[in-house]
Amino acid sequence: MKGPLLTKLQLLMASTAIVSSLFISCKKDYSAEDVPVPPVVKDYNLILRFNAVVDTSRLEFGKTYRNYFRESYSVSAFKFYIHGIEMINTDSGKVFRTSADKYFLVDFTDSTTTILKLSVLPYKYNRIGFTIGVDSARNVSGAQTGALDPAKGMFWTWNTGYIMAKLEGNSSSAAGGKFEYHIGGFSGPDNVIRKPILLFPFGETIDMKPDKVSEIIVTANISNWFYNPHDLKFSENPVCTTPGPLARQIAENYSKMFTVVSVRNE
Amino acid sequence: MIARLTIPLLLFIIAGTIVVNSCRKSGGERKAPTPLSLKIPEGFPNPAYNFGSNPLTEEGFQLGRKLFYEGLLSKDGNFPCSSCHQQFAAFANFDHDLSHGFNNQFTTRNSPGLFNLAWHKEMHWDGGINHIEVQALAPITAPNEMAEDINNVIRKLQNHPRYPGLFAAAFGDKQINSQRILLALTQFVGSILSYNSKYDKVKRGEAVFNDAEKNGYAIFQAKCNACHAEPLFTDLSFRNTGIPLNPFIKDVGRMRITNKKEDSLKFKVPSLRNVFLTFPYGHDGRFVAVRSMLNHYSDGVQNDPNVDPLVKNKIPLSNLEKFYLEEFLKTLTDSTLINDKRFSQPE
Repeated sequence: MKGPLLTKLQLLMASTAIVSSLFISCKKDYSAEDVPVPPVVKDYNLILRFNAVVDTSRLEFGKTYRNYFRESYSVSAFKFYIHGIEMINTDSGKVFRTSADKYFLVDFTDSTTTILKLSVLPYKYNRIGFTIGVDSARNVSGAQTGALDPAKGMFWTWNTGYIMAKLEGNSSSAAGGKFEYHIGGFSGPDNVIRKPILLFPFGETIDMKPDKVSEIIVTANISNWFYNPHDLKFSENPVCTTPGPLARQIAENYSKMFTVVSVRNE
Repeated sequence: MIARLTIPLLLFIIAGTIVVNSCRKSGGERKAPTPLSLKIPEGFPNPAYNFGSNPLTEEGFQLGRKLFYEGLLSKDGNFPCSSCHQQFAAFANFDHDLSHGFNNQFTTRNSPGLFNLAWHKEMHWDGGINHIEVQALAPITAPNEMAEDINNVIRKLQNHPRYPGLFAAAFGDKQINSQRILLALTQFVGSILSYNSKYDKVKRGEAVFNDAEKNGYAIFQAKCNACHAEPLFTDLSFRNTGIPLNPFIKDVGRMRITNKKEDSLKFKVPSLRNVFLTFPYGHDGRFVAVRSMLNHYSDGVQNDPNVDPLVKNKIPLSNLEKFYLEEFLKTLTDSTLINDKRFSQPE
């Protein structure tokens, strides 16, 4: 009886070992899938950084400012869609276009969204252009994801379309104490999609070198929403949440809010 | 002795096999979803939405079906899509002029039946929704309907014991986002077809109209078909049919979307399929019966410069003609649709 019992124990242990190893190898497969492969090379060579400002000072949410008409206000939300970024050299006429289908939602309450990492052809450039808004095709093609996910709160559910730019806050000059500008509209005369082209400061160019990262800092000045060419007073128009003439006027104002304040190479 | 050794050995081999197989199953070889295709009924035109970027699958359809009947899509759990869209009423809201939403509120419009929606380019009475996939966002977020935030819906579904698995079955992994919710709902709602009424059977040579129905069909073709065009029984246009402004709701219809004066009081021409199941009628449900709707066209049309030329001089209809029309319109009831178990509430 002694011999066979030992054999039986050995068999049991061996089988257990086999089964356990199966479990282990199985588990190993899982973790191998979950480990992200670290990037070997940077997949970008240009950083476009947006800073929100009120005239010369950095925007602070909740802080009181005054607009062109001496109306006081504070800001609680400031965001807009950007896509179709172009690097331009007006001397040679060369234009490098990044993918027009890649959308960015720049949201100043989430600083990670204000730094756009791009991959462009290394070259000398002296202008940057981009589209502020969401192209009409993307407004009529159903459920989107990524930056255009309707869950981002930049989508009208009852009259399909994206809010291209949003500015919200409080103002004692506004009836009800608050203002809300949700600017959108993509078709015909209601179209608010704008394409600003920005000069670099002091006639600078950016001379991009291969394998080096360059950086462009652009300010978005909230003051520009309220005048030039159209006067926008909290006392008169505290709310704009539909496409139409007022939205178009506000878009014309804010399309001038961008300034390149610095360009630099790594 | 040999037998005593063989049994445990076999048991271990079986156990090992089970482990290996279960490992493989969850480790990557996930079953691909089963493709479906939308059956285009005989005589129908090509649909506006063909599921091109939202491939129709059994798993996607079933997920959409479960979501359609899911209270979690609403703020307090009481208002799934199906609360205003009931299968026995051809997915309209049975016997409700307006429907009920969150916190004892009324909706502002009559809930339409849901069928053959893949043929509609614009959704809602005012056509404000330009794509079927994004329609569901409107009732989900409207404060007087389901009153919920889409991000809350996503969170609730993520924390649910079954939904992550259902999303994985339909879309390949467990991620739940607004796009997947909307695509699944579209797969379900877009698959609801109505093409099996007595009218359809007559057209296919499987049945015959009785004399009253035949008379009614002739009157229909002479006096109604211009807007309620076959085979959808709507030309999908927006028209002002001389229904005066509701002084309480003040719904101006299409003008709300286009801001154009000429679109004042224009509403989408509703399909007459299943019309006897979808009472009351009109964009605010003010007409309680088919006969009151017919009486509007024969006697009630409001005199207003914006009224559609086809109805502004009213539509002459005798009582007998109205009776025949009603007999014909009854042949548009699709009992296959309202009894189809594939569209009913899942267990």
